[in-house]
Amino acid sequence: MLGPDVAWYIAVAAFLFGIGALGVLIRRNTLVVLLSLELMLNGGNLALIALSRQWHNGAGQIFGLTVMAIAASEVCVGLGLVVALNRRNLSLDVDTLSELRG
Amino acid sequence: MTGGSWLCLLAPLAGTILILVGGSWIPRVVAAWIATISVFVAFGGAIWAFLSVHNQQYTGCLNGTCRGELTTAWTWLAAGHFSVPLQLLVDPLSTMMMLIVSGVGGLIVLYSIGYMDGDEEERRYFAYISFFVFSMLLLVEGGNLLMLLVGWGLVGLSSYLLIGFWHERPSAVAAAKKAFVMNAFGDATMALALFIVIAHTNSLSFGVLNVHFSSTQANLIALGLLGGAVAKSAQIPLQTWLPDAMEGPTPVSALIHAATMVTAGVYLIARTSPIFEQARTIELMAAGLGALTLLVAGLIALVQTDIKRVIAYSTMSQIGYMFVGVGVGGYANGMFHLMTHAFFKALLFMTAGLAIHALANEQDIRKMRGLGRVMPFTKWCFLAGALALVGIPPFAGFFSKDPIIASTLNIGWYGYVFYACGIAGAFLTGLYTFRLWFLVFPGEPSPFVREHYHDHNGREGAWTMLVPVGILAVLATIGGWIQFPPHWDPITKWLAPVAPSLADAVPSSTQETVTSIVSVLVGLAGIAVAWAVYSERKIAIPAVPSVRRILENKFYFDWLYDRIFYAPGVWLANVLRREFEEPVVLQTGTDLGETTLAAGGIVRRLQTGLLRTYVLLLAAGAAGVVLAFLIAK
Amino acid sequence: MILASAGNALVWIVWIVAAFSCLASGVAVISFSNAFYSALALIGNLASLAVMYLLLSAEFVAAAQVLVYAGAVVVMFLFVIAYVGPRRETPWSGGPSWQTVGAAAAAGALLVEIVVAVGMQANGSLSHETSVGTDFGTPGWIGRVFLTDHLLAFEITSVVLLVAAVGGVILGSHTRRATA
Repeated sequence: MLGPDVAWYIAVAAFLFGIGALGVLIRRNTLVVLLSLELMLNGGNLALIALSRQWHNGAGQIFGLTVMAIAASEVCVGLGLVVALNRRNLSLDVDTLSELRG
Repeated sequence: MTGGSWLCLLAPLAGTILILVGGSWIPRVVAAWIATISVFVAFGGAIWAFLSVHNQQYTGCLNGTCRGELTTAWTWLAAGHFSVPLQLLVDPLSTMMMLIVSGVGGLIVLYSIGYMDGDEEERRYFAYISFFVFSMLLLVEGGNLLMLLVGWGLVGLSSYLLIGFWHERPSAVAAAKKAFVMNAFGDATMALALFIVIAHTNSLSFGVLNVHFSSTQANLIALGLLGGAVAKSAQIPLQTWLPDAMEGPTPVSALIHAATMVTAGVYLIARTSPIFEQARTIELMAAGLGALTLLVAGLIALVQTDIKRVIAYSTMSQIGYMFVGVGVGGYANGMFHLMTHAFFKALLFMTAGLAIHALANEQDIRKMRGLGRVMPFTKWCFLAGALALVGIPPFAGFFSKDPIIASTLNIGWYGYVFYACGIAGAFLTGLYTFRLWFLVFPGEPSPFVREHYHDHNGREGAWTMLVPVGILAVLATIGGWIQFPPHWDPITKWLAPVAPSLADAVPSSTQETVTSIVSVLVGLAGIAVAWAVYSERKIAIPAVPSVRRILENKFYFDWLYDRIFYAPGVWLANVLRREFEEPVVLQTGTDLGETTLAAGGIVRRLQTGLLRTYVLLLAAGAAGVVLAFLIAK
Repeated sequence: MILASAGNALVWIVWIVAAFSCLASGVAVISFSNAFYSALALIGNLASLAVMYLLLSAEFVAAAQVLVYAGAVVVMFLFVIAYVGPRRETPWSGGPSWQTVGAAAAAGALLVEIVVAVGMQANGSLSHETSVGTDFGTPGWIGRVFLTDHLLAFEITSVVLLVAAVGGVILGSHTRRATA
């Protein structure tokens, strides 16, 4: 394969995943948390596609496409939640949303 | 043959179980009659066993008994080559004891129907007393040393339960504890002796006692057995529990502390006589302790004011005679005196019980003058018992006590000491017994008697109380006629296959006759002195305050034991409580609770309610799992 | 040879630029206090990822990435961010003090572990490179694989999308009852 070895791709994917995890853990705005989740998913996707190329296994790309579809659905539902929260005039701060009722 | 022994043993146990199961559903008097009938059924079984032993052909000696049969239920303990079966032994010695225990016991249980009538906890009493009869029968019927020890322990337990029967009284509870602890000491020495037997012979059947032991072993075994006998029979130095045991109801005193349990020590020495003969020194020590006890108890009885305590010290003294008898080797003499003593001592206790009942539980003899005027039946029965006790012919004691005294003449210089003690004891017996008689029965009724005496529907007591007293009065009169050595001695011949008397212990007929005459004269002298001092007031008691003080303090045994054993024990218990129990044991519970609360408080801080905390925990957990996988790789 | 080495060098350069922009835009996503800017940074991230997919012979996936992610998902995000309105937030504050430390530690641990795993060459399975044909990663090839080997994944994905669409509509609809 031309260019870097698959190990470099995996390293980038790992860093991307780590950055996304940090974002989920630290940010308080729900929307930004969802964006960080997207980062994590993309990191995993990159690892999948890279290894699919490495081992000439089509399942990796298929899995990556599926992950993309799932991520889209999850964003849809998550944003629906945010809209519903906003409709009820609730704060979007993750720390404030600490009780199950209301 | 064996059916009789099983019936005898199990009938009182069945009685106990029936009363326990019946509980408060059966009326109190039904429980009383269940107990009585079960003991009489046991007596029937004892007669059956006796007749079958009597009719059995002599087949040789086996397992330490000739003319006996072992009956086994099942193997109880088994460890390698050592096994102890659950077995009963039916032979001349055990049937004799069975008859005494169940016969006199049955009469006493019948008596207690009247005595305990009206008590709130009658059922408990009758359950305990039939359990006691069962335990005593187990002791005498036990077919090996371990069964004997089991019965030994159970009678100690029954004695504790019955002495402390009126458990709201602190003095009764203390007396029960004292009796049990002293008996436990004896149990321990007996167990040690049995350990040595097992170590040497790997068996506990009675036959092993015939095996030759080394002199040290034989002495130790005999010493251990003697310790048990001394504790159970209240001889010096373990005698202090018996007077306190009078806290129990009078029938209990009659049954346990006169007729049966306290005589178990004498039975033990007779049963294990082969080993005592191997350790002759210890056997003579038993006789020596008996001689000492009979003197000391007789002296203390002179100053007692409680009617039951006088009779208790008299019991201690007479058992001293029995110990002298078996200690010098005349086992039949000791057993015969055991039998007659059961008759007249139970009689004395029961007549005392009639008097106590009639005077609303008053036991101080100084208040009871002139009771004979209002209770003639009691007076004559008591007189029969007293004359039997002193040993005046033709009453029972004469025939049984004198052979014991005479048998000490041929064993050496200490035999003469025992002889002197026996004769002095006869004088003391006459003195204290008739001191009691003259203080209580003859003369004008005292104001106390006039005021407090109440009869039972015109009679001196319920029929259940009067009938046994009457029967025992007859037995105390004629019971001695069964043996009059050297002219006729069926009892010696009966016991010969099991416990033959040692040659040294058989006196010549001259010695026998002389002794009888001397002891009767001495007894009459005692009676005369008592009459002079306590009845007609012709002579005043010589007032020697120091002697009086020693006697009243029971030769300071209690004082000594309190200082040597009780006070250090209490001190040690308090130290342990202060230093260990409270800081360590009790604090552990509190500490556990506090630690759990603290741990919960720490864990509680994880529950922040924030989403981010939980996601953090997820991530940390995932990191941990990956780490584990990496390490595994 | 020279062409091959030149091609290699070109690939390397492209890769370095793509990787750098990917990570930089990732950091930007989590750093901006304005959510709108974070969503815009995500677009950059997705684009650089598409470039890297192209380098890995996954053309269809790269196209799908741009179409689906950058075209649909990020647009949705921008819609909702605009709808919700401006919220200022200091990114690094709030919560128990140990939380920030713990977060950094957990994320760092995960990262280190992955790097270590890769560094250990995953028991050598990272070194077996197989050559791929020219139709690897083309849409036709993807379609063929989807409809033969991985048909179940294809069908289930379609069901999940339907469910998510229905759920989104319900969540976003007006409530019929008065709510607190």
